Amino acid sequence: MKAPLLPFQDWLEHYQEKHRALSAQSQFIGYFCTYTPVEMIHAAGFIPVRILGESGSLEKAPSLVPSFICHYMRRTLEKALEEKYAYLSGLVQAYTCDVACGLINIWAENIRLDFYHTLPLPYNRTPEARTYFRSILQEFIEKLNAHGGRLSWETLDQSLQLYRRIRKLLWILYQKRAAGRLNLSAKDVLTVVLAGFVTPPETYCEHLEILVQDLSNDERMDGPKGFPVLVSGSLLENLSIMDALETLGFRIVADDLCSGLRSFYPVDGQGDDPLDRLIDRTVHHFPCPSRHRARDRFPLLMDLVRGAGAQGVIFLPQKFCTPHLADYPLLAEALNKEGLPHILLEMEDSGLTEAHRTRLEAFLEIHGCK
Amino acid sequence: MDNKEASQKRLQAAKALNQLVFRYYQECLEAKAQGKPVGWMPPMNGAIELFYALGLQPVFPENWSPLCAAFGYTPENFRVSEGMGYSRDLCGYLRNIVGYVHGPMKEGQWPLALPEPDLLLSFGGGCVPAMKIFHVLEHRFPQALVYSADLPQVAAEEVGEHHLRYAISEMNRLIDFLTQTTGCKLDMDRLKETVSLSDRASALWDEIMAYRRFVPAPFSAAEIGIMFVMVTRQGTREAVEFLTQVRDEVRERAQNKIGVIEEEQIRLFWDNIPPWYNLRLLRTFEKMGGVVVAETYSSAWSIRLTDDDPIKALARKSLLSYSQVSCVSIKKRRDDVLRACRDYAIDGAILHRNKSCAPITLGQMDIQKALEKELGIPSVLIDGDHMDERNFSRGQFQMRAEAFMETLKDRKGL
Repeated sequence: MKAPLLPFQDWLEHYQEKHRALSAQSQFIGYFCTYTPVEMIHAAGFIPVRILGESGSLEKAPSLVPSFICHYMRRTLEKALEEKYAYLSGLVQAYTCDVACGLINIWAENIRLDFYHTLPLPYNRTPEARTYFRSILQEFIEKLNAHGGRLSWETLDQSLQLYRRIRKLLWILYQKRAAGRLNLSAKDVLTVVLAGFVTPPETYCEHLEILVQDLSNDERMDGPKGFPVLVSGSLLENLSIMDALETLGFRIVADDLCSGLRSFYPVDGQGDDPLDRLIDRTVHHFPCPSRHRARDRFPLLMDLVRGAGAQGVIFLPQKFCTPHLADYPLLAEALNKEGLPHILLEMEDSGLTEAHRTRLEAFLEIHGCK
Repeated sequence: MDNKEASQKRLQAAKALNQLVFRYYQECLEAKAQGKPVGWMPPMNGAIELFYALGLQPVFPENWSPLCAAFGYTPENFRVSEGMGYSRDLCGYLRNIVGYVHGPMKEGQWPLALPEPDLLLSFGGGCVPAMKIFHVLEHRFPQALVYSADLPQVAAEEVGEHHLRYAISEMNRLIDFLTQTTGCKLDMDRLKETVSLSDRASALWDEIMAYRRFVPAPFSAAEIGIMFVMVTRQGTREAVEFLTQVRDEVRERAQNKIGVIEEEQIRLFWDNIPPWYNLRLLRTFEKMGGVVVAETYSSAWSIRLTDDDPIKALARKSLLSYSQVSCVSIKKRRDDVLRACRDYAIDGAILHRNKSCAPITLGQMDIQKALEKELGIPSVLIDGDHMDERNFSRGQFQMRAEAFMETLKDRKGL
């Protein structure tokens, strides 16, 4: 592994110990979904940390949630019940999928934190929707400040600038990958993005600056290898999946993952004041199926496909993920019209199963040699 | 268990209900034939009253699904939607309506049918499957005019003025859309009357449900089909007349101590949506002396409309409805269940762990703990699905139901 990647790997592997060590002087607020306004959490003086499920067993969570929700959500509860998030001051959820909404309330019933908050985001982009959006963000500011936060226009502006820089650096990596010049594996890219969810943003930004600088001096020169694909799905945490896909002969040139592009694109928004800029970015958030139509997602998906030269799409949703599974038939129909091959593999905890591998091999045999 | 066993519907109103259901769907088809604008919409929001006040025809694809289940149409609808790539892990309402509009509806093969929509009230603000149903409908009916509705998904106890302001602005936007696209004019007096009728229906509904506190209960969850008027006819005189008839009959039964079974020994509570394909399952409990006298789902359809301004009243109703059938507030649902269990003198609760509805199922285990801890009421989890019988095991249900009833009887020394 390249030296500039080591800090990302280190944070991802050891973030909970690091958070506990930091918690003497810093307060952390957890969140599930990338629609959560992390800039506001940061501007209030907290460190935002995305709740990861990670691979592992389910011993306690089944006593509180049914088996027919995604493994990710069940694992977040499992970890909370194991007191792995006892250092959090609060948990915030922007209403996206129903299960995340239920989970924050189940956490609230069973895990003692200082506060819980759900942001009922608007679905529309009308002026009235933006006015309403502003009112719920103002309510959120009051809640943060009531729990020891110190959010002001000035701190929010600074946090927006910091996150803008982070997102821009990630976008540079993605553009290099799309152009075939990124000298990182798919697993490395996922490691970098995932680390951003658990690393204090100032630290993360520094590591990203170093990595991007290093990569600009070390561009891929040997030409692309493998069948270029876009990976579409929700939160993908299992790094081994990326390795397995590359080993099978795929080259991941783009994604619309919740643990990928959707977590940082667009890099910022427009507006007269910091809150307006944040609102603008959120309403233009790269669309998640929990809030948007397949019809609206498809052109953006195709932009990514064309921009990166992908010749196929691998859908990797979590099993039981209603938003993604409900959109899949319409997306598949639209891809068929474009003549773009695609395959759907529902993910659980175990990474790629033998059945998945067999199907992927067949997919590659059929479409990889055209 | 005998699937052909007679249903335990004992209310005379059940016959009137059958006629009312048939008449409603006939009315939907006739409206289309007469050129009256037909709008498909989700239930549980103020658009229903608005449609009736404007003289438009509302159609509820979500409500169509229980009917399909009751008539045995779901296997064919599921076959079509699953063939299109819709996962069996998705909500049964979604798979059923998607299958219906792409299969049997096109072929016109059933006596009851839905007319094609002229308008679609496609919304964000309910559960994700309900939203996705409308995304598919937009694709299936490209000629229909689409209104993209929006409602804050907020816990009832946290509804604030800012949520209400936005809901009102959305209601006004909907009025503009409907009047501009259909040419209909909104008569405020008629809207006030419609809202008043809707409120009267809710009051009657509450009164009917309150009679179930009597011992023995005058009717059981097997009669839950009367909810049809609360879903499809809110704001109409027909709903008020039907519910008045039900109220009178239920009151008479309660006062004369006419119960559901000969000797009501155990009073039960049902949590979550019932299995629409087989409400006869409740007979299992009745054979052992148990009657389901209250349930979460039926209480979700009664929201009083007390604001003087009818648009504000409908906006508030729209905001409050989602809380009742989702997991935006597990605390409120828990409090509601505990209150109902106290009010209805419940001996035991049946918690339907419903694969077709994660939003209502989430939090159920917390409710189970609270029932035991705070009221000492035992409960049983029944794995199933409100639409898809393939996700339900009769053997497991029978075994759990029998064991549960034995426990409850032991506790009461019966």
